[in-house]
Amino acid sequence: MTKQKLVVIGAGMASGRMLETLSDLAPGAWDVTLFNAEPRGNYNRIMLSPVLSGEKSYSEIVTHDAEWYEAHGVTCRFGEKVTAIDLAGKTVTGENGAVAYDKLVIASGSTPFIVPMPGHDLEGVIAYRDLEDTNRMIDVAGNPDAKVVVIGGGLLGLEAAAGLRLRGVDVTVVHLNSHLMERQLDEAAGYLLRRALIDKGITVRCSANSKEILGKDGKVRALLLDDGTELPCDLLVMAVGIRPNVALARDSGLAVGRGIHVDDQMLTSDADVLAVGECVEHDGAVFGLVAPLYDQAAVAAKTLTGQSACFVQKELSTKLKVTGCDLFSAGDFAEGDGREDIVFRDPARGVYKRLVIENDVVIGAVFYGDTTDSSWFFGLIRDKTDISQMRDTLIFGPNMQGASVDPMQAVAALPADAEICGCNGVCKGRIVEAIEAGATTLSEVRAQTKASGSCGTCTGLVEQVMAVSLGDAFKMPATAAVCGCTDLSHEDVRRLIKSQELKSQDAVWQELGWSTPNGCHVCRPAINYYLLADWPLEYRDDPQSRFVNERNHANIQKDGTYSVVPRMWGGITTADELRAIADAADKYNVPTVKVTGGQRIDLLGVRKEDLPAIWYDLNKAGMVSGHAYSKGLRTVKTCVGKDHCRFGTQDSTGLGIKLEKLLWGSWTPHKVKLGVSGCPRNCAEATCKDVGIVCVDSGYEVSVGGAAGMDVRETELLGKVATEAEAIALTTAFIQLYRENAKYLDRGYKWVAKVGLDWVKSQVVDDLENRAALIARFDLSQTVYRKDPWAEHAAQAETYQPLADLTLEAAQ
Amino acid sequence: MSWIDVGHIDDIPLRGARVVKTMQGCVALFRTGPDEVFAASDRCPHKGGPLSEGIIHGRQVTCPLHNWVFSLETGSAQGADNGQIQTYPLRLEAGRLLLDGDALSKRTAA
Amino acid sequence: MNVVAHTSTEPFIRVAEVWVPKGERLVCSAGDYNGLDGFEAASRKTSFAKGEGLPGKAWSEARPVVLKSFDGSYFQRTEAAKEAGLTAAVAIPVFAEATLLAVLVVLCGDDAVRTGAIEVWTTDADDMLTLDDGYYGAAEEFEFVSRHTHFPRGQGLPGGVWASDTPILMRDLGAGYKFIRASAAGKAGLTTGIGFPVPVPGGSPYILTLLSALGTPIARRFEIWDARAARMGKSGNAVLIDGVCERAGALWKDDGDGLNSDAPTASPWKGVIGQVLGTGLPVVARKNVGLPEGYNAFVGLPIHRGGGLSHVVAWYI
Repeated sequence: MTKQKLVVIGAGMASGRMLETLSDLAPGAWDVTLFNAEPRGNYNRIMLSPVLSGEKSYSEIVTHDAEWYEAHGVTCRFGEKVTAIDLAGKTVTGENGAVAYDKLVIASGSTPFIVPMPGHDLEGVIAYRDLEDTNRMIDVAGNPDAKVVVIGGGLLGLEAAAGLRLRGVDVTVVHLNSHLMERQLDEAAGYLLRRALIDKGITVRCSANSKEILGKDGKVRALLLDDGTELPCDLLVMAVGIRPNVALARDSGLAVGRGIHVDDQMLTSDADVLAVGECVEHDGAVFGLVAPLYDQAAVAAKTLTGQSACFVQKELSTKLKVTGCDLFSAGDFAEGDGREDIVFRDPARGVYKRLVIENDVVIGAVFYGDTTDSSWFFGLIRDKTDISQMRDTLIFGPNMQGASVDPMQAVAALPADAEICGCNGVCKGRIVEAIEAGATTLSEVRAQTKASGSCGTCTGLVEQVMAVSLGDAFKMPATAAVCGCTDLSHEDVRRLIKSQELKSQDAVWQELGWSTPNGCHVCRPAINYYLLADWPLEYRDDPQSRFVNERNHANIQKDGTYSVVPRMWGGITTADELRAIADAADKYNVPTVKVTGGQRIDLLGVRKEDLPAIWYDLNKAGMVSGHAYSKGLRTVKTCVGKDHCRFGTQDSTGLGIKLEKLLWGSWTPHKVKLGVSGCPRNCAEATCKDVGIVCVDSGYEVSVGGAAGMDVRETELLGKVATEAEAIALTTAFIQLYRENAKYLDRGYKWVAKVGLDWVKSQVVDDLENRAALIARFDLSQTVYRKDPWAEHAAQAETYQPLADLTLEAAQ
Repeated sequence: MSWIDVGHIDDIPLRGARVVKTMQGCVALFRTGPDEVFAASDRCPHKGGPLSEGIIHGRQVTCPLHNWVFSLETGSAQGADNGQIQTYPLRLEAGRLLLDGDALSKRTAA
Repeated sequence: MNVVAHTSTEPFIRVAEVWVPKGERLVCSAGDYNGLDGFEAASRKTSFAKGEGLPGKAWSEARPVVLKSFDGSYFQRTEAAKEAGLTAAVAIPVFAEATLLAVLVVLCGDDAVRTGAIEVWTTDADDMLTLDDGYYGAAEEFEFVSRHTHFPRGQGLPGGVWASDTPILMRDLGAGYKFIRASAAGKAGLTTGIGFPVPVPGGSPYILTLLSALGTPIARRFEIWDARAARMGKSGNAVLIDGVCERAGALWKDDGDGLNSDAPTASPWKGVIGQVLGTGLPVVARKNVGLPEGYNAFVGLPIHRGGGLSHVVAWYI
């Protein structure tokens, strides 16, 4: 039997699999010529990542070696590019000459996309595709001070970064989106992945747009980001995507779209030419993961041997190769009505599992940290299994179906040496011992065993052990949880945010086991506040987690209009300011102009669309937001003081203005109002404010914890100081202490009542070092927040307008 | 169905909303996730509060005036409150937001 | 794969023993003495209290211990060791949470020929990994380099093991691949390295590395088995995830999509790996059946994490 001639262009993974299958189906029937632009044969390209890291050697990932080619009658032309295909004459021309074919398979793969930003052609800018790229990266690792920047936080970019890191390189990953691997992962899993990479010493920058690659003497020296940051590097790896390699096919006249068009049999527009792999387009889709390529290879081999076969696009899943990151994702998390989430979190083990369900069918899954049964779930997705009967236990996997999980039973079944409190190494037996010795409350158990005395995450579990041991004699305490999303109280959450260094909302949802993906209208504003108070530099206030007034920087009225209150520092104004206010009232047809109890003027009834404009006008007159809506400093009420009043002992107005200028802009657990009176006659009503200062001959009496709203409280004396500077210091320290410790929405007086004035005094009056530290932290936070929100928001005026106005369209 | 392009998804902040003025009143577009947007009436059936100003969580929104919570998938009020807001079909295509023009013109008074 | 001409190779580790707690003392439950009968007899009749001798020290101090000079030390079988030509030992405790399950002790002989390295790494005050101690045979220059190297998280073999908390195998340590101590490794002829975490109560990180040279390998076959519940469910099984063998080449199977591998699985109690899985203890064995072809000695070490057996590291001579 004479052999048929087969020419294969490209020796990648699809081509290798096809040749194998072909030789299994029809051994000896084909005389194969295999071209490869890379100077080597077929190898497992996916395993380049462990080769990069050193965990595998190149020789281990070669899939077909010289022996195999010889045994299967393959003539190898490696390192030789194909320059032309003559479809009519059925020949393929390479750099070293032409060869005729009976059948041709194009497996030219894809080329990595290089973003055409300035500097992309500098020496030292590479993609991550083949062994040459891998060896470049390995070579750079030979220099102990080497720095590498990887653009692209998808699968490939992260594998490059992890491999380089194992080799000892200083790596930074730059990613355009707000979280990593956004095509395969949701935000929560993206957060866990980011944490695992940072744990390896890899620097990750998300939401980072690359602007330009900077060079010196023709070689790369740094990457410049949009925000001006320069990331120095000796090598820059671009892993931002691949494009099917279609130039050859297109030039020869084959039908080409994004990829080479093929039908279900992998045939191109020419009956004697097939195509497989990343270079093809089938039914509008192109391919980047290996599983469908292997399917294609099998179909192509069958087609060549005259057997019928059909390529069907199937569900895909992804797995990351990075050591220590167990990640599985499959299916679809795109938008749609009627979709439901089932989320399972185990913060202690860093596990996050999410299933997306639509019409009783699992359509998507993301697992991080625990990928057991991923193939079972993948089967559910692929087979579109009806899961309505097992919805409640679905997330626990195939072994838990049909069983109902009683947490108490699970706790009762724990052996005595099961660890309950990880921080202090306390096992169940120890806790039971303490209970048998007489401890009947959580604090007693804690005092005796130290369980739940450190980070507190095991408190629930300790209580369950107590319930199991004591039965009804133990009353589970009814501390108010923050909301329906969690069992933790505000105090717990605040404490945990500090002790576990949780610096983002996703960290809180994940580490504290929130039952919803992103909180609710009760907890999210509180979490947002706690995060910005504890981590002013790492976390920024999130407007979408604020009540509408604070988000729009104006108070919403019952008819949907807004009130605008510019600041009047210490209640002092000028003719120019008054004119600006009057002009604004006219220009924007403000129905009501009112003087407030806070010693300033309120413009009521402004339309939302006019807000940026009215702010702009007031800004021009030198006025800024009065924060009349915010949980922050409202006003500092003053009386005239020494300047004008015959009773004034000190410059109360001056002090009031100084305080307002120092404290404005900062977010607090609830609104803060100050008052400074020039003498004990107290015309500024300072003694019913959050902080009230009464000036006396010998100095200043600073008192705290007043209120004059639904509750009326008189302030209590915090301390008496001699100088204005010290009065300011004491006030600032107190505010910062309040910011760092109070429950969200507790007014100052409520918080002081909870913690006790004595404790507050010990923190800010007696302990001068602590006072200075509090002031330093407040100043640090103010570097971020002491600025006019109106100016910022006036610059984004278009977001206050409707997105579109269809009333202007012609009737449909 | 006639689909009207009203803007790009990135014009709406994540977990935020923007409003589209229509002949029948304001329709709010709520962005509940990086690639997920729901369209519903902006007006709360309780006392007319602007739902686009509420806090968005999961696939729900809380009215800023009196804290009624609505599912953005079904439009019904949650918990003890009884009420319904109109929802509108919306498509997301290559980042563009497309509202169903027919549904907008067919709407009966809520 | 080319078949390496099988010249007689001297193993770097001469003796491997398993000590288990019995009441308050450690007794020798198993050992591979490779013909050193005098030393074997001495070990079989010794037992150690906590803190006593080398195994006892690993227990009381809750960490791996390297001992390189028996004379005048706390080592108790000094005479027998001298006669057998053994001069250095490493004791690796196997803890499950706070409970000591066993201590694996490996003993080496000092001579000018054998090179290899057994290293214990732990963190210093600056949160970097430094060499706690190590036994290097004749690889003096490599020892010097290692003593002066620090690894941050994620960097190098010890740093990679620390950051991922899993065993890692690295091939081709010598020149050609820029392993961070590569040139010194190349000169010493060290080719393959395996690193794994040694969990101890209190949580301080300890990482053990075994670096092997062609002529005097620690082993000619290494295997890493994954037994984590997050991977294997509640079956108690383990799957082979990585390994390298002088004869068989690479031991891992991964098509790249991770879902459909047909890698070998071990069940509790079946075979040598199964013994490790079933008992949760280190296993040493010298026998002619039941091991992969061409090998007749085996050491399997369990790693216990998160309330269960997470990995088994095995090597064959």
